[in-house]
Amino acid sequence: MANWTTASRKALTEAMSVDTWLPEKMPEYAQGFMYMLGSLTASSFVALIISGVVLAANGPASWSYNGADRFAAAVHFWSVQAFFFFMMLHLWRVFFTGAWRGGRRETWLLGAVAMIVAIPTAFTGFLINGDFYSQWNAVQAKDGLNALGLGWVNLPNAGQMFGMHVVVLPLTLSLIIFGHIYRVRIKGVVPPYPITQEAATSKEAK
Amino acid sequence: MATHAQEDMVKNYRYVPEDFMKHLMGTLGIVSVLVLVLAGLFGVPEQPPLTIQNNAIQNPVAFEAMTTRDLNGQGRMANYGPPYNNGTGNLEFVFQKWVGVLHPLNAENDFIIKPLRMAATVNPAITPPLNAFESASPAQQVAWANNYETALAKGTVRNGVVVVPAGNYGPVPALMNDTLKLGESGLMSGALIRNPSVVTRFNNQNYQLFLEGDPLHNAAASLQLKGTQWGIQHSAVVGYPGAWWMTIPTWIYQWPFVANSPAADAVALSIGFVFWLALALTPWIPGWNKVPRYLGVYKLVWKDFYYRQTHPAAGKGDDTRGVS
Ligand code: HEM
Repeated sequence: MANWTTASRKALTEAMSVDTWLPEKMPEYAQGFMYMLGSLTASSFVALIISGVVLAANGPASWSYNGADRFAAAVHFWSVQAFFFFMMLHLWRVFFTGAWRGGRRETWLLGAVAMIVAIPTAFTGFLINGDFYSQWNAVQAKDGLNALGLGWVNLPNAGQMFGMHVVVLPLTLSLIIFGHIYRVRIKGVVPPYPITQEAATSKEAK
Repeated sequence: MATHAQEDMVKNYRYVPEDFMKHLMGTLGIVSVLVLVLAGLFGVPEQPPLTIQNNAIQNPVAFEAMTTRDLNGQGRMANYGPPYNNGTGNLEFVFQKWVGVLHPLNAENDFIIKPLRMAATVNPAITPPLNAFESASPAQQVAWANNYETALAKGTVRNGVVVVPAGNYGPVPALMNDTLKLGESGLMSGALIRNPSVVTRFNNQNYQLFLEGDPLHNAAASLQLKGTQWGIQHSAVVGYPGAWWMTIPTWIYQWPFVANSPAADAVALSIGFVFWLALALTPWIPGWNKVPRYLGVYKLVWKDFYYRQTHPAAGKGDDTRGVS
């Protein structure tokens, strides 16, 4: 790390290369639905951003009574469901395949951080919808944050929640997801556990 | 460190051609169709909020019981604690004390006295009871409010006014009936969401916290939204999915020792965080990080790959697929 510029050039060359982002070959084992789950999660996030931008552009006042905005809100709502649904399936897939092996521990950690940041991201969205679910959860959930000394985040303040939900949390989440997927691309998807000898000797090898 | 993990991985695999762009567009297409169809079919769940106006009109006596508790310090917000005030009612943890009063809220003044002062400019009849209340000693104010709160158990509504059996309440009944009227008028929201320095009204804290207490809790209970009812799991509109990804923290809230703790929120969230830490640190936790290997589910995920490995003949066809 003697020369920062050299180090940065090296890192950026890899980060900005089409070989990193648009591979034309994949390992033979990385095929099928199990390997679509991460991309389905990321695609749901894209749907969230697009429908969210439409909603944000029109401003919070019209969400609850403007028909077209209701539709955008519905797309946004179901995208959240899809996002978490695929994320959980993806989480099972990467867990059951021990996908942190071979220097992929940080990839897993970033995934876990994405998950825990996604929770308040979704939650603050519920809080600015303005219906009873918003109202109740803003008032109800404040106690937990306050108890932990996080009362600066004032759930009953819809203005603060708007900023959190529209800028702070999605931006943070985007960066984490980017880092997560970047690491996956740099490291490649994890190779399977060895099994051939075991299969031959029929039981788990010691 | 990474080396012992390496023994955990096959090395003899090939690369096969893949149209990655098609893969990405494919998943984006699947998700787009999915969410558009769901949105078209089911829309978005929306349960009308509990407005102060509706609550005042529908439950006048309970409304007054709630506002009276802002005067005797028994209301949830009146005695909450940091970050709203120096009460102790919701003080769960030492951290909570350290952050201090960040979003000051004085329930008596902000919820009752100030709105009534404003209303008094329209209806001067409000001024005398207000002055009488404010010039009494704090002990006297609390005594009146306590008496009135008790009497409200026998409260009835006559000609739009809450009436209780005669007693020593001072000006409190007048004030509470004025507050009720203000609530019924719909003007209370304007009196609560105020910021004299700017024209924007982004901070609706006091409006949202005004109904904290029985009104909101009763409304939530009937929709199965309370914490003890696995609240966050449920949508406010039956049939829609809620925040089901909160299953583990919600489950922790149901543990008897958590549910009965005076610091339930702090305890439940702290335990939830430990669960998350265990998940996040899985790769570093010896033993636990080997579990998937013994579970063997991976054999299903990589079934085809293993089949080709153990049946070299079966892999023949694939060899023609242009390997790097
Ligand atoms: C915001 C949510 C997430 C997104 C958008 C996401 C996206 C992705 C994508 C696109 C991949 C490439 C491989 C594949 O698609 O299967 C991947 C791999 C991976 N993800 Fe996630 N992920 C998310 C959450 C998580 C979580 C919660 C975890 C675990 C705690 C996790 C752990 C991993 C690991 C370890 C890999 C490497 C898999 C391998 O090498 O086979 N991810 N992720």
